[in-house]
Amino acid sequence: MSQFWSVYIIAIVVLNLAGCAILLLVNLKMSPEEAKNETTGHSFDGIQERNQPLPRWWLFLFVGTLIFSVIYLVLYPGLGRFGGLLNWSSVTQWEEEVALVEKKAGPLFEQFSKVPVEELYQYPEARDVGGRLFANNCAICHGSDARGAKGYPNLADHDWLYGGSADAILTSITQGRNGMMPPMAAAIGGTDEAVRDMALYVQSLSRPDMTKDAQVAAAVARAKPKFAVCAACHGQDATGNQALGAPNLTDGIWLHGARLEDIETTIREGRNSHMPKHEGVLSKQRLHVLAAYVYGLSQDQQE
Amino acid sequence: MANYHSVIEKNVSLMIVLTLVAVSFGGLAEIVPLFWQKATTEPMATLRPYTALEMAGRDVYIREGCHVCHTQMVRPLRAETERFGPYSVAGEDVWEHPFLWGSKRTGPDLDRVGLRPITEQWHREHLRDPRQVVPESNMPAYPWLAENTVDWSHMERTLKVFKNQFGVPYTDEDIAEQMQKVNGEWADATEEDAVVAYLLSLGQARREER
Repeated sequence: MSQFWSVYIIAIVVLNLAGCAILLLVNLKMSPEEAKNETTGHSFDGIQERNQPLPRWWLFLFVGTLIFSVIYLVLYPGLGRFGGLLNWSSVTQWEEEVALVEKKAGPLFEQFSKVPVEELYQYPEARDVGGRLFANNCAICHGSDARGAKGYPNLADHDWLYGGSADAILTSITQGRNGMMPPMAAAIGGTDEAVRDMALYVQSLSRPDMTKDAQVAAAVARAKPKFAVCAACHGQDATGNQALGAPNLTDGIWLHGARLEDIETTIREGRNSHMPKHEGVLSKQRLHVLAAYVYGLSQDQQE
Repeated sequence: MANYHSVIEKNVSLMIVLTLVAVSFGGLAEIVPLFWQKATTEPMATLRPYTALEMAGRDVYIREGCHVCHTQMVRPLRAETERFGPYSVAGEDVWEHPFLWGSKRTGPDLDRVGLRPITEQWHREHLRDPRQVVPESNMPAYPWLAENTVDWSHMERTLKVFKNQFGVPYTDEDIAEQMQKVNGEWADATEEDAVVAYLLSLGQARREER
């Protein structure tokens, strides 16, 4: 702030305070001729307005605000460039707040970072912290209960696209993942029937009773030999490949929808899934706690 | 002295004028100096003007009233900087006309939403049906954004107004380049494309500080 604006602001503030004080003083006294009159001369329907001094309690409040403003201006910023004796600013207040929490939380994170993920998830404090980190950073996609949504994997079950080990989870969070299933319609014959046959076959992998229906059984028989092109990623037994993030097709867990139409769409158009990387968004120590939290989500549950 | 008082009391017009004078001191001390302060008039070094697509998205953002439920103002409080990112400073909003700080958070603050690791696909799904991805959300769905194509008819004029009237440093070449994209790759862009581009641009000036 330049000298000019500083003086300008101080002048307005001081003049205003002085003006208020003078106004108050002047209104405390009545002129002799006014004091002689008992009323102000106003009369409404015979009701007369009496000429009285300001009520005392009100007057003291007014004086109180003037005193308060002087004390405030001495302690806090308000008079141009003068920052106040307390040297308060919203930025230093924020810095102090951050430093205070860092002082408390720093050693805790330090302690957490020395405990391996497989063990850390059992620490109640780490779970609390991890839960908050999850709510703030992961829940919008994976859900506040971590059970995911269509297109966003459930993290609370035992099915893992890229592996459920502590290392795999930490890598997924830190580096992100890119899942890419190419459109496969052309590779399996290109016709709508071929796509439907394959969708039925894939669906029947987790629902063997479907093949009791003769039509489904026929479709499965037609599609099965063509599954070889899918097996490149999903494996000969269709149980997936965690190195590629290719899902297990036999476990009845459907990331992009379980309906026949969903599966057909997946086969026809492919799927692109993107888990963003969190390196640089969260500190290493926080990522470690978060990985422990996610690791712990499925540990308490029975298979 | 007391006589002046009765004069003012009995003359309504004079009283209105004097009241306005008294009230204006607050603005004179608190607002007027800001017009000449560097902190409020100089853009951040990392700030860049909106592309035409982002500008169109911003217009849709205003039309749909997003600012009624979402602020774009991270306050200097630890809880907020921890959740959203660096607190907002005046230098980021020098080219905002009108600014979209908002005044009430029904939804979260969006001033740093472009810095968050959220995919474009998520934004699209979320705009079409928020409860598809966040079951507990109370945000309305905006499915028509994906169907409407952007109305580009005012864009050239908008950019010129921002350049000439608001002093945003577009050059004539910049505007020509943006209009070329408007007539080319963005000609069939949907309003959803525009809003998502705008959302992803929010907070980019502070990327290095995250």
